[in-house]
Amino acid sequence: MSKLILTVDDSASMRMLLKTSLSQQGFRIEGATDGVHGLERMHEVNPDLLITDINMPRMDGFELIEAVRALPQFRGTPILVLSTEFSDDKKARARSAGATGWITKPFEATKLGAAVRRVCP
Amino acid sequence: MSDELDEIQAIFFEECAEGLVTAEQGLSAMAGGDVSADVIAGVFRAVHSIKGGAGAFGHAALTAFSHRFENVLDEVRAGRIAPTPGVTAVMLTAFDILSDHVEASKGTAPAPADAAALAALDEVLATGGAGTPAAPVAAATPVIEAADDFGFTPVTAVIDDLDPFGFEPIGVMLEDLDPQPAEAPSEVAGWTVRFAPSRSALANGGEPLLVVREVEHLGGSVVDIDCSALPPLRDLDPEESYMVWTLSAPATLPQADIAECFDFVSPDSIIEITRAEPPADTDLELAPSSAAAAPDPGHAAPEPTSATTAFSPNRAPEPEVLALAVVPKSDTPRAAEPAAQTIRVDLTKLDMLLNLVGELVIRNSILTDRLSPKEQQRVELPELARLTREIQDNVMSLRAQPIKQAFSRVPRMLRDLSVETGKLVLLETTGESTEVDKGVIEKIGDPLTHMIRNAVDHGIESPDDRAAVGKPREGTIRLSAEQKSARIFVRVSDDGRGIDRARVRAKAVEKGIIPADAVLSNEEIDQLICAPGFSTAESISNISGRGVGMDVVRSNVEALGGRVEISSVPGQGTTFTMILPLTLAILDGMVVRLAGQRYVLPLATVVESVKPEPGQVRPMSRTTEVIELRGNYLPVRRLGDLFGFGGKGRAPEDSLVIIVESEAGHVGLMVDTIEDRREVVIKSLDQNLHPIRGLGGATILGDGSIALILDVEALVGSSASAPQHSLKGLAA
Repeated sequence: MSKLILTVDDSASMRMLLKTSLSQQGFRIEGATDGVHGLERMHEVNPDLLITDINMPRMDGFELIEAVRALPQFRGTPILVLSTEFSDDKKARARSAGATGWITKPFEATKLGAAVRRVCP
Repeated sequence: MSDELDEIQAIFFEECAEGLVTAEQGLSAMAGGDVSADVIAGVFRAVHSIKGGAGAFGHAALTAFSHRFENVLDEVRAGRIAPTPGVTAVMLTAFDILSDHVEASKGTAPAPADAAALAALDEVLATGGAGTPAAPVAAATPVIEAADDFGFTPVTAVIDDLDPFGFEPIGVMLEDLDPQPAEAPSEVAGWTVRFAPSRSALANGGEPLLVVREVEHLGGSVVDIDCSALPPLRDLDPEESYMVWTLSAPATLPQADIAECFDFVSPDSIIEITRAEPPADTDLELAPSSAAAAPDPGHAAPEPTSATTAFSPNRAPEPEVLALAVVPKSDTPRAAEPAAQTIRVDLTKLDMLLNLVGELVIRNSILTDRLSPKEQQRVELPELARLTREIQDNVMSLRAQPIKQAFSRVPRMLRDLSVETGKLVLLETTGESTEVDKGVIEKIGDPLTHMIRNAVDHGIESPDDRAAVGKPREGTIRLSAEQKSARIFVRVSDDGRGIDRARVRAKAVEKGIIPADAVLSNEEIDQLICAPGFSTAESISNISGRGVGMDVVRSNVEALGGRVEISSVPGQGTTFTMILPLTLAILDGMVVRLAGQRYVLPLATVVESVKPEPGQVRPMSRTTEVIELRGNYLPVRRLGDLFGFGGKGRAPEDSLVIIVESEAGHVGLMVDTIEDRREVVIKSLDQNLHPIRGLGGATILGDGSIALILDVEALVGSSASAPQHSLKGLAA
């Protein structure tokens, strides 16, 4: 069974882009539109990997990561941040919230795939 | 595959449009004094999203500009730059340029000149952020800046680009700064990688072993595993990491590729990547905190913890970013919709659904016509009819979109107009969440533009004139939308000088639109503004006053099956109201009968119907007739003649004359009888037949028979060679 990834991004085009790129590389993809939706979907789909944006309405990526990490069943689930931001303090914040890694947008499909396999083989 | 990407890109541009609306509303709110954190965050997020998508689709100029814009917004969001009116004004200008950049990225407009806006943004960044140095953006040269803006620079600029990226400590030894992989690989030793994950490397979903595998995947291999730190089993914490790997990697592999494998490793891990020069020299170097302090043999930093980083420090500047224009491999054709709370549907599918529902409505009314009330009850027809109506409403709501899309261009237009005219204008908008059919929204853009221009140009007075009559120096334009039953009312009102009826009247006489002795009510005079060729502008301005303004409004709105109302109070202002149908698929029609056939006249065009007295309709020439109506003479057309039925129709006194409103003024259409007034579902003829002049479409009536829908504008237009596109107004 191929690995299941939940992508959380408020931009539909970004979600589609992720889905297109990653499903070609053998991953199954589910999507959510913001942090609140993402947290709901985590319970529903129980993914092998969470990829989340940072700047989103309702609940941002940092809050989502903290909320997910607070749940015992997701303690070891890898979480990647996919954001156009790249400042040290943002990355540090994501890290302390419980993120596994950070990918800077824009991304190249193959690089993204490699990054994903780095945490979700 | 490229279709798929085009499709995603099209969605990206829709998101851009939405983002621009959000940004504009936020900036307008800020300009109006609302500088709450939510508003600022909303603007930031909108611009940020545009940047993100633009990068993904390789729109370098849009990415670069939105990045610079975002820098300022970020400072404002963080409270380091105060959103003063001056700063907000700069951002509004930047917003305009951003909109232009979006258009340019779509290929619908040339790239905007953004130097001034960028300079203004940089100025804000340099002077507004007292605590922040201006350097990050302002001081760099354009080329380096571009690299700063995520590296949209040519591949060959790699080395130059790397330097400005000292923004993050690089945890690996960049011994080889030369990105061109070794000119003579055979002479260069392979890489040795020492990888000592921190104890906590397994936390948060980290897995050092995957990193090792990735290096292996690149052609590397494990040389040694140091298990000396491994405690006895009973002391071992399975969630901690104890191993130290030594790996070798091929010499031809760029160092950055190896380093990238370690992107996500927890920050206090030790990662050393060195050229394994002489095989004997296995003393490995530890990473100092930056690339600059690289390859000095013997310069060992024993405590590299703070120097290592997990979060991909050296990804951004690499040439890979250039290639990011998303070129997924083309081997998997499946395009997948994102699982989300919304779903995007091809408009043609929606229209097909709407069409089918239309059929259902028609079948329903056929059944209602054919069955007796008792039979209707027996087969539960009323329930079916109710369900059908509900389905119809629902399907129509699928095509409905908030009218704010049509309103979104207004603020910018007002700013431009304000600059052009020197008039000060405030905008108040209400009801922008009112939902209207997409087709209607697309078609009211032009009329709205003309109405706003007209209001600024002719309505609002100059600040001094306003002050002189005791009004605030700023004029106000109120833009509103509301739904009343099946109609949408879009109003543009100003608090300007109102319509100068004496001048309008004089002008109309001068232009020959009305006779000098015509007796007109105030309302009729106001309506003259919409007459073709009317313009009262004393000097032809850039803005309106070209005499094509308000009559365009009227004809566009009427083509949609709507109408325009004007009300004005001298000295207090003018209100233009567009009254529009909720949908283009259903028409409020008058069913008329002629020579045994039934036709549908759009009710919006009908002014009145007249049962002529003998002699009231009289011939003017062999081919033309007029009807005398309250002292006026209106041309009368016999529908039978227009459709070439020929022969002698009924006598006028046995017929009805329907007075319709058209661009050519009021015209009488002679028909046999009026049969009904009903809503009809418009079926396009164009797919099946050549466009037929005078026919806007067809519909199926309750008894199953077909009735043609008349296009009044085309019917009464005098020139036979008049363009036929007006037919589309009905059938769209």
